[in-house]
Amino acid sequence: MRLSGFPLLVASSLVLAVAAGADTRPAYGGTLHVSVGIAPRSLDPADTSEPDSIGRRNLMQLMFDTLLTVNSQGRLQPALATAWQAEPGNQRWHFSLRNHVHFHDGSLLTPEAVAASLRTANPGWKVLAAADSVVVECDAPAPDVAAQLARTRNGIAKRSTARNPIGSGPFYITDFQAGKKLALAALENYWGGRAYVDAIEIELGRNGRDQLIALDLGKADIAEVPPEQAQRAAGEGRRLVTSAPVELMALVFAHDPQSQDESKLRQVLALSIDRASIENVVLEGEGEPSGAILPNWVSGYAFVFPEEQNLLRARQLRSEVRQAPAWDLAYDGSDSLARVIAERIALNARDAGILLQPGVAPGAALRLLRIPLASVDPRIALASVAGFAGLPAPRFGVGSGDEIYQAENAMLETHRVIPLFQLPACYVLSPSVQGASQGRAADWHLEDVWLKSKLP
Amino acid sequence: MNFRRKLLATFALTVFLSVAAVAWIVSLVTRRAFERSDEERTRALVSEFQREFDRHAEEVVRRLEAIAGGEAATRMALALGVSRGFLNDAARIAESQQLDFLEFVDGAGTIISSAQSPAKFGYQDTSLTDLASLVRKPAFLKREELADGTVLGLFAVREAKVGEEHLYVIGGQRLDKKFLASLDLPPGMRALLYPDAASGFSPQLLVDPAGTVTQPEKLAPLIREVEKTGQPSIALLDWSSDPADDETMHAIPLPGQDNRELGILLIGSSRRTYVNLKRHIQSAALLVGGAGILVAILLSSWAATRVTRPVEQLAAAARAVAAGNLKTQVEVSSSDEVGELAAAFNRMTGELLEQKDRLVQAERVAAWRELARRLAHELKNPLFPLQLTVENLLRAREQEPEMFEEIFRESSATLLTEINNLKAIIARFSEFSQMPRPHWQPVQVNDVMRGVARLFQAQFGARGHAAIDCRLELAEGIAPIAADAELLHRAVSNLLLNALDAMPEGGTLTLRTGTQDDRVRLEIRDTGTGLTAEECQRLFTPYFTSKQHGTGLGLAIVQSVISDHGGKISVRSQAGAGTTFILELPRNLDKLEARAAEDSERATSAR
Repeated sequence: MRLSGFPLLVASSLVLAVAAGADTRPAYGGTLHVSVGIAPRSLDPADTSEPDSIGRRNLMQLMFDTLLTVNSQGRLQPALATAWQAEPGNQRWHFSLRNHVHFHDGSLLTPEAVAASLRTANPGWKVLAAADSVVVECDAPAPDVAAQLARTRNGIAKRSTARNPIGSGPFYITDFQAGKKLALAALENYWGGRAYVDAIEIELGRNGRDQLIALDLGKADIAEVPPEQAQRAAGEGRRLVTSAPVELMALVFAHDPQSQDESKLRQVLALSIDRASIENVVLEGEGEPSGAILPNWVSGYAFVFPEEQNLLRARQLRSEVRQAPAWDLAYDGSDSLARVIAERIALNARDAGILLQPGVAPGAALRLLRIPLASVDPRIALASVAGFAGLPAPRFGVGSGDEIYQAENAMLETHRVIPLFQLPACYVLSPSVQGASQGRAADWHLEDVWLKSKLP
Repeated sequence: MNFRRKLLATFALTVFLSVAAVAWIVSLVTRRAFERSDEERTRALVSEFQREFDRHAEEVVRRLEAIAGGEAATRMALALGVSRGFLNDAARIAESQQLDFLEFVDGAGTIISSAQSPAKFGYQDTSLTDLASLVRKPAFLKREELADGTVLGLFAVREAKVGEEHLYVIGGQRLDKKFLASLDLPPGMRALLYPDAASGFSPQLLVDPAGTVTQPEKLAPLIREVEKTGQPSIALLDWSSDPADDETMHAIPLPGQDNRELGILLIGSSRRTYVNLKRHIQSAALLVGGAGILVAILLSSWAATRVTRPVEQLAAAARAVAAGNLKTQVEVSSSDEVGELAAAFNRMTGELLEQKDRLVQAERVAAWRELARRLAHELKNPLFPLQLTVENLLRAREQEPEMFEEIFRESSATLLTEINNLKAIIARFSEFSQMPRPHWQPVQVNDVMRGVARLFQAQFGARGHAAIDCRLELAEGIAPIAADAELLHRAVSNLLLNALDAMPEGGTLTLRTGTQDDRVRLEIRDTGTGLTAEECQRLFTPYFTSKQHGTGLGLAIVQSVISDHGGKISVRSQAGAGTTFILELPRNLDKLEARAAEDSERATSAR
């Protein structure tokens, strides 16, 4: 629980002073040092030129509030919007705004400012400002509008060309060096209560090795660790926090199959991949082999999509195709995990009679991608994957489980996407970090973190 | 070509051949020396390569033994069967041990961890068989298939044995640019590596420590030959049109552990030094040759002056002698052969002069004698009737006075006849002695021939004479010449008379004209009795005749006329086969100009 307002802050400080020495009790103050791999050039939550990632979302959440949030059970929670309601047909949505919320520059968060921010992030929507609310109108039924508004890309920001966007989140920007460093300070009168730490300094663009070194040297309190190194990090005595799977690693074809033979060859490739070995050796047990697009904790039915290697069936299918072209398999050259997995997939595919040429050529017909889970809302998550794969976004009615399964199955039957693994997000924490409870969706909630006193 | 030029040519040729021979020999010696040096440098470089190879091999073995005996290998051996956790171990250890290749393989040949191909975990390592037999062997060459192509490496195998578990450590270093760069190459040499001596030629595989090989296709035949034969080979490669860029490339196969050729070491030796040296030799040869030829010119001029001047003097003196100046003498300027030749020449001309004088005197005496004989003979014939007539008159006056008047009249007639004969004889001699100078005028020789033929036309078929067939074969288009038409007519007439006399039984007389070079040619040919060789020699001697009643002046007159015209007369004859007289006359056009000038001058002076 956090205290709200300055008087409470003073009171709680007094209480904490009395209880000094009790490490388990929250304490205000201090600077939290974070080291991350992402290197954003822009802090605009709606900037689509910046690649979406779990790390970026966590950064945005520190500075920008959304109208709604999603709790660990996937339920929508009020944030800047205290209430919301859809009109029949799900084309028109009303969001009542929280009163007395200010942007970091002190200006009042008004319905007009919210509407302007949402229009920037969603050019296809018609967003109207009312007295104390905003209205979102869509051209077609859009049952997922509320869930969309919980995404960080719909964080409310006051934009100007001269400076960084201004949010209303628990921290405000004190320094930003694009791609290198971001310094934040706690907003004293944050509507959700002041954060425990006074400031956060985030080192951007650090590779995993540098992050761990910074952590070991006490220069970082929180650092990312790749899933394949998580067990080793834990084995070396570091505090490890692991989320539920929040990232899909998949093979994505650039085009639909041009023939029945090509569809078969794509099936051969999917059947030839020994996901278990990769998960066991390459990922060292972190992550889940998956034949599904959505992780099981989100959809609940991922297990029905087979993920086991079936070399016999793969060879049988392959024998039905006379000639198989050599496919270039592109992966991110800066991602060492992707390189090993791509090479392993090429070896597996060769066993089934398909020639894959791993490389970093950007124009390849086949790509190995990491697709972050866009939302715990399966509709939004599926739509996001469809966007990555270049497929049309699936349409949903009421958003029932069966409807979602049918949509995912239809996507898989296009043979454009071959799911491989569902990967978690992993972090290591310094001993001084307290209160960190990463959610299933890997959201940080650093406003709830406090630092244990380093004095004896 | 005169002697001076021959001497110059001989000198120049001698110098040129000498310099060329020396240059060729020097070039040959240089080339052989360069080739020997090149071979020695190549051998040295191959030895250097072998030393470096051995050093790296020992280093690889040492590092692999360290890895096999290390904690990581022991841990891995103990955990065989648990595949998790070793993915990056090989790469990490390889990096720490500075190895390019490292794989941990269990006793069944399954890859536990691979530095060069991390994704191959769980696969069988098929590149080596019978690993157990390799654990004590030194390092060897092995090809390694990587994602980006085939590379050649120096590999060794060592074993980490924990209990009954066998863990093989296979590692090595890449034979790459870095390895080649570690070779101590002499200037002008380079080392390349072709790491795949089994699958033809692929330019991308060539390893050059200096960067990318330009025009790699030129190495293809050499590499293919070594791949085919398995033996070292050499080729001369021309990288550009400049011979200095040529390179002698030695290709040496590199065998692997099973003695199969895995790679090819290419050692290039630039020919720039040799070509530059050869160019210097050629330049020096050209310079020396040019200077030599210049010296040859000077020497030959000096020698020619020394040698040919007396010879030229001799030649000029000989020409003077040939022209009739027997008093010609040359200067004897040396005591050598040329001097002796000059002295001999002087003696010869002296003797010729003496002989000429004697001959002239003898000929003069002979001529006088001949003249006297001819005069005596000619005069004797009319004088004898004169004597008889006078004696007859005297006898008639004494013995038959009554018949004297009649006898006197008859004798007077006889006397007058004989006296006329005497006068005719004297006139002919007088005519010969008073041959006139030619009166130059344009003359058509064909007209002259036709005129003479017409003059004698009556005699060709005269009664009492055998028939003569006269043929005119006159060339058309002969330009007029400068001559005296009357003298020419007389000369041709004399020859025609001789021809008629030579054909008492009749025959064919041919008058022919033509041109030869710049001269006009006239031929008078008969089919008469012909002349002997001796008669031909003496034919133009004054007062010589082969006829019983000839004066011997006819042909002498002809010769005199032709000589006055600057021409030449010759005779071809064979006894019984006829005779041909040939007159060759110059055009003498300058005589006409001279005469015109004289006439003009005379006319001017007359006015």
